[in-house]
Amino acid sequence: MTRPGRVVIGTLGLDQHEVGAMAISRILMRHGYEVVYLGRFNTPERLTAVALQEDADIVGVSVHSWEYVAYTDELVRRCRESGFGLVFGGSVLTERDRDDLLARGADAAFGPYASETDMLGRIDAILRRVRAGAPAAEPSARTVTVKGGLAGRVVLVTGAARGLGRAYAHELCRQGVAVIANDVDEAALKETADACDPLPGSVLPVVADVTDQGAPRLLLDAALRRFGQIHGVVANAGLLRSGPLLKLPDDDLRLLLDVHVTAPFRLLRVLGAYWRGEAKAGRAVSAAAVLTTSAAGLYGFRAEAAYSAAKAAIAMLARVAADELGRYGTTVNAVAPMARTRLTEWLPGSPAADADPWAPEHVAPVVAWLLGPGARQVTGRVIEVGNGQVSAPEAWRPGAVHPLPPSMSPAEAEALLPTVLSGPPMPALLGPEPP
Amino acid sequence: MTSGAHDHTDEPRTAAGISLRAFYGPADAVGAYERIGDPGEYPFTRGRLRPPHGRPRGWIQRELSGEGSPRRSNAQFHALLAHGALGIDVIGDNPTMSALDPDHPMCEPAVGTTGVSLCRKQDFIELLDGVPLDRITLSHSLPPAFALAGQFLAARASGVPPELLRGSAIQPPLYAEDCSYSTFLPFDLRMRLTLDSIAFSLREMPRFHAFLEDTYYISDGGLDAVEEMSLGLLEIREVCRRLLARGLSIDAFAPRIAILVNCRMDLFEEIAKIRATRRLFARMMRDEFGAADPRSWSVNVAVHTSGLTLTAAQPANNIVRGAVQALAMAMAGVQGLEISTFDEPFRTPSPVAHQLAIRTQQIIQTETNVASVEDPLGGSWYLESLTDELEHRIDAAVRRMEDHGDVGTLVENGFFRSIFTAAMDRHSSAVQSGELRIVGVNEHVVPPEADRFLRDVAEERFEPDLAHVARIRAWRPTRAAAPLDAALERVRQAAADPGADLMDPIITALDLDATIGEITGCLREGQGLPADPVGYATSRNPVEVRR
Repeated sequence: MTRPGRVVIGTLGLDQHEVGAMAISRILMRHGYEVVYLGRFNTPERLTAVALQEDADIVGVSVHSWEYVAYTDELVRRCRESGFGLVFGGSVLTERDRDDLLARGADAAFGPYASETDMLGRIDAILRRVRAGAPAAEPSARTVTVKGGLAGRVVLVTGAARGLGRAYAHELCRQGVAVIANDVDEAALKETADACDPLPGSVLPVVADVTDQGAPRLLLDAALRRFGQIHGVVANAGLLRSGPLLKLPDDDLRLLLDVHVTAPFRLLRVLGAYWRGEAKAGRAVSAAAVLTTSAAGLYGFRAEAAYSAAKAAIAMLARVAADELGRYGTTVNAVAPMARTRLTEWLPGSPAADADPWAPEHVAPVVAWLLGPGARQVTGRVIEVGNGQVSAPEAWRPGAVHPLPPSMSPAEAEALLPTVLSGPPMPALLGPEPP
Repeated sequence: MTSGAHDHTDEPRTAAGISLRAFYGPADAVGAYERIGDPGEYPFTRGRLRPPHGRPRGWIQRELSGEGSPRRSNAQFHALLAHGALGIDVIGDNPTMSALDPDHPMCEPAVGTTGVSLCRKQDFIELLDGVPLDRITLSHSLPPAFALAGQFLAARASGVPPELLRGSAIQPPLYAEDCSYSTFLPFDLRMRLTLDSIAFSLREMPRFHAFLEDTYYISDGGLDAVEEMSLGLLEIREVCRRLLARGLSIDAFAPRIAILVNCRMDLFEEIAKIRATRRLFARMMRDEFGAADPRSWSVNVAVHTSGLTLTAAQPANNIVRGAVQALAMAMAGVQGLEISTFDEPFRTPSPVAHQLAIRTQQIIQTETNVASVEDPLGGSWYLESLTDELEHRIDAAVRRMEDHGDVGTLVENGFFRSIFTAAMDRHSSAVQSGELRIVGVNEHVVPPEADRFLRDVAEERFEPDLAHVARIRAWRPTRAAAPLDAALERVRQAAADPGADLMDPIITALDLDATIGEITGCLREGQGLPADPVGYATSRNPVEVRR
């Protein structure tokens, strides 16, 4: 850092609670920040004019009465115009107020008993973003209109070290979520955490192997210890053991089923039990689980029988678990992402920046939506997304019904079953044509 | 747990840092009984003897109130009185506390949200409509000169002779600018308003406590008991010296001094603080200021329980905190009590919180028998030892500050401001580190979803009263301009003349429908300052009277 971060601090309007502003100034100065202290009776115009004049990075508002509401939108607009970070803090800010401030475009909002470490970490991250010249996250119309949005929720993402998992963590963080990011790859997981650092949410990396029997409990405990709550899970961890049926060894088969079927099943069991417990204690959580199936599980991949079977199992797991957990307020859905990851390097096209229709980033907003308040009525569904399109694939449905003759003879079978099977053909298997 | 794990943090201490032993015995309560004295006797450690007849035995039960327009606040008063409140404490919204009018463009978002909006005589009349001013006490948490003027005019309008008025007005000349109640007036003008309004009250409202030293609002940012009382006594001493310098006798005004103190959670320390303060006050009045009238020696102490000790987490827990604090203060023998309501971390009190707080006081008073015996804890080895130690520390702190030199200069230099800031910083660090243990905050925390009980009440919002703003705007041009201009000119001239009395011109102007914002603007102009202190509306002169 070329020079210390510089923060303009004051209260808005006639909000007179100046000691709070002075106390946060002292904390920042103790940690190497320069503070331009404006005290009380400020307007958005004054705060930003001084920030410009003093070449500041961040505008900080101390709040003790509700007047700030009248000034917030103008202050956000001015801070964006000039590229300042914007932080609110005050003991009267409820969770709802903080969500609202983030939705309106503040970079951070701290309520009562905010941890000093967290506060400084977030302000450091905002400073890095401002210095890098990166634009602030746009307050999307969606976040504003959907009551509460995702900000402040706690979501576990498995397989978050790279690919889709990293894109999910990033998008959720951008929407203000506290993400418990899990993977076996510690180094890559750290890269995910670093990439999310400038965003409004936060990332708690937890290294664990989802195939360990104790992993779900460990991840739940990590969430509760750190955040006291958990609202969602994205069971994304996956791997590919390729091999045609005739060649796939037992170890690979077991690993595929462990990672893709057993691990999400156990996660749902442990988290579902926690959410049920909360609901029974009268504290029902609006919880959401998103599992990861695949076109392989819906249509089949050539020469990937085990992988395809495992993914098909997930689609049905989502459907049945949705029914079982729904009574406790938990939704369960699955996404079938079409994206270029380590598992799907054979996909066409070049991974060239934003234009790549196969980039994992295109899947992330769908996952975020499934976790949010807008999807509370959606459960037991599969959404296929990627390559510039999104759809809800049709599940197995009963075909045309024919009466079954009593004690059907071989001749009757010969006559009947081709007719039974004469409906529309199954979709073709996916994947490269065999040589 | 504490991060540093220093050995000394495990040693028990009071909140103000006094080391504690596992138990106390006769050897710890030093000195002869004369040092303590009977209740009603010098040095008043054990308080006044409460009147045996008249009011219910005990203390004046009241709750902080005021929200929205004067009419709405008046309804709140009547609700509280119907619940059995014996007094009223009214606080203004942010504009009123800053002596700005509600239709000032910077005030609109704040009108009525944290207290009542008051800017004109009619507001005081509406505020106090139907309130039996001759029977209940009215405490003003408002800019004192205007509060006295407003109550005086409202009493006159309702035919109550001013000599019957009882209550108190906070006099904050030293610290208000640093502690949330800035009026944008220079120190000498604030001090003149204090001295003039006290002198006015002594003349016109002799039963009124025109000098309420409020150590609550200065200390609830995190000051400890020693800091709180030493700053309070310092302000009392400064104002007394200046009243004496005007030729008033100490016995003319000392009986009209009262103190409104804080009560945090270290209950024995808070009780000892009050006992130590009474003794320090008595000794100061008799031995330093030469007061001869015993009424000058025994100070009236009221309490507002600490809002800072209340938590935004699990707000229902605050009901318990308020109750134990109130019980402690009943045992300390205070003359008046207000409980910070359970929703205090979020808002001004809701009706349900008001009722609960009054009921808490009533249960303590009527069901526990606690008020039947004065100073029931007197003679406790522990409490007497704490009282002695606090008395010593508070006294030493006052002397230390006075050794720094002229108090007015200390104000201007920000000496006190740094004390307030350091205290807040210290408090927040102690909560962060867990050194200050708070149930529901750094211990026994529950997730937000599990923390819903009473939260809807607590988090309910109060919209700015824009209808009242419109009312004031519409009323402004209907006033008779010529007498108003003349009255305001008199205020301007009085402010310019250091020897002039400010109260009479202020009351006259308020009576002729000048607003508080206009009068304060003229006070500033008299001293060569711009009328509008925040310089927000340069094109709109708030003193201008439209014809």
